[in-house]
Amino acid sequence: MEDPIKEEAELDQLVICPKCNTLYQKVPLPSGKCALCTQCGTILYRYDPSYLDRALSLAITGLILFVVANLFPLIRIDLLGNEQHMNIVESIRQLIENGYYIVAIGVLFMALIIPGMVLANYIVLIVLMRLGIGEALTRELLVLLSHLMPWSMVDIFLVSILVALVKLTGEVQIHFGVSFWALILYVGIDTYLTKARRIGTLWELRQRIYHG
Amino acid sequence: MAKKPSKRINVIRCPVCEAVNVDHGGAILCHRCDSHIYREPKHGIGRTWALLLTAMILYIPANLYPVLNINNIIDGHSGNTIMGGVILLWDQGSYPIAVIILMASVFVPILKFVLLLYLLISVRHPVSESKALRHKLYYLTEVIGPWSMVDVFVVSILTGLVKFDSFKILAGPGATAFVLMVFFTMMTALSFDPRLIREYPRKPSQKKEKNR
Ligand SMILES: [Zn+2]
Repeated sequence: MEDPIKEEAELDQLVICPKCNTLYQKVPLPSGKCALCTQCGTILYRYDPSYLDRALSLAITGLILFVVANLFPLIRIDLLGNEQHMNIVESIRQLIENGYYIVAIGVLFMALIIPGMVLANYIVLIVLMRLGIGEALTRELLVLLSHLMPWSMVDIFLVSILVALVKLTGEVQIHFGVSFWALILYVGIDTYLTKARRIGTLWELRQRIYHG
Repeated sequence: MAKKPSKRINVIRCPVCEAVNVDHGGAILCHRCDSHIYREPKHGIGRTWALLLTAMILYIPANLYPVLNINNIIDGHSGNTIMGGVILLWDQGSYPIAVIILMASVFVPILKFVLLLYLLISVRHPVSESKALRHKLYYLTEVIGPWSMVDVFVVSILTGLVKFDSFKILAGPGATAFVLMVFFTMMTALSFDPRLIREYPRKPSQKKEKNR
């Protein structure tokens, strides 16, 4: 058996393609560049030293947009002078009122609680890493983030709004609320932070911050 | 250009933090995030089978019962199953949306069932030699899986929005079955043991990376 510390350092120099499982040895990259899998073209890792600062400002902006998106109506509709409006919270309230508790819980978690937790988690994590403190806590937060991300579905909710509106075309008049545009911007930021960038990138930055 | 790994080793990718770990054959704890990558052989695939069968059974009521109930003062009461909604959209001429709903609500769950069944069966009885193919299939289920929530979200949005005295849209029992089906399908994919689809890299040294 080899020295485990040395073995870990060697392992951290390897990367496996998430899509096709090809094994690679990492090479040093110039700033801002990324390494691609030669088999399937998936991004393997990147060197992006300014990522933390950018991610922090984006995550804070995202949180503000997410709060705005849930405070005001996303959509208003008009039927013969009668007006109704909805947002995510209102949808959940109506589902509960009609007795569809399981659907309500699904929407509550996938479109409200978990996306909010992902953003809050991201902000705390990046602040800690930026300050170079709380090494053990950042590990817990990164693990939690991995478990939360598959269940965050606001992007799908946004597409669903458009589908729902298509179903209503011709029946009612549709107006977009300020929250709708906030939600679009929020989804853009969320997609960049959690889908365009791999979680492995954050782990590598963490390694560099706490262990030189 | 990539360097060659120093020697040939069996490695496995941590599904939580993406770190490369050595697979000694027994239980593995990720060296970077302490997650259980693989517990013990007896943990097996029984739980995965149970989750998948639950999801598949729930798919039946999800399609048989209406996901949507419309109360209209003029046309009276009508319920819409998923296929009914697709046909309605098609008749209205909303072909792209009809196709999106058909893909997200009908084809994606079936594709996921087929892929997961294939993966579970091929663990015991290798149907195909290609483990790389299994990997790509597994990756595909992870990416497309959550999109089957579109119809549930559409129903929730319409429930929250259309609540006039003369025109109401409510969720239906099919929506509850559908949420539970998506939940169990995602749990199946998440409980899937990464070792079951792992491919031992045969000649990692021949792979090279390109920089972009
Ligand atoms: Zn790990």
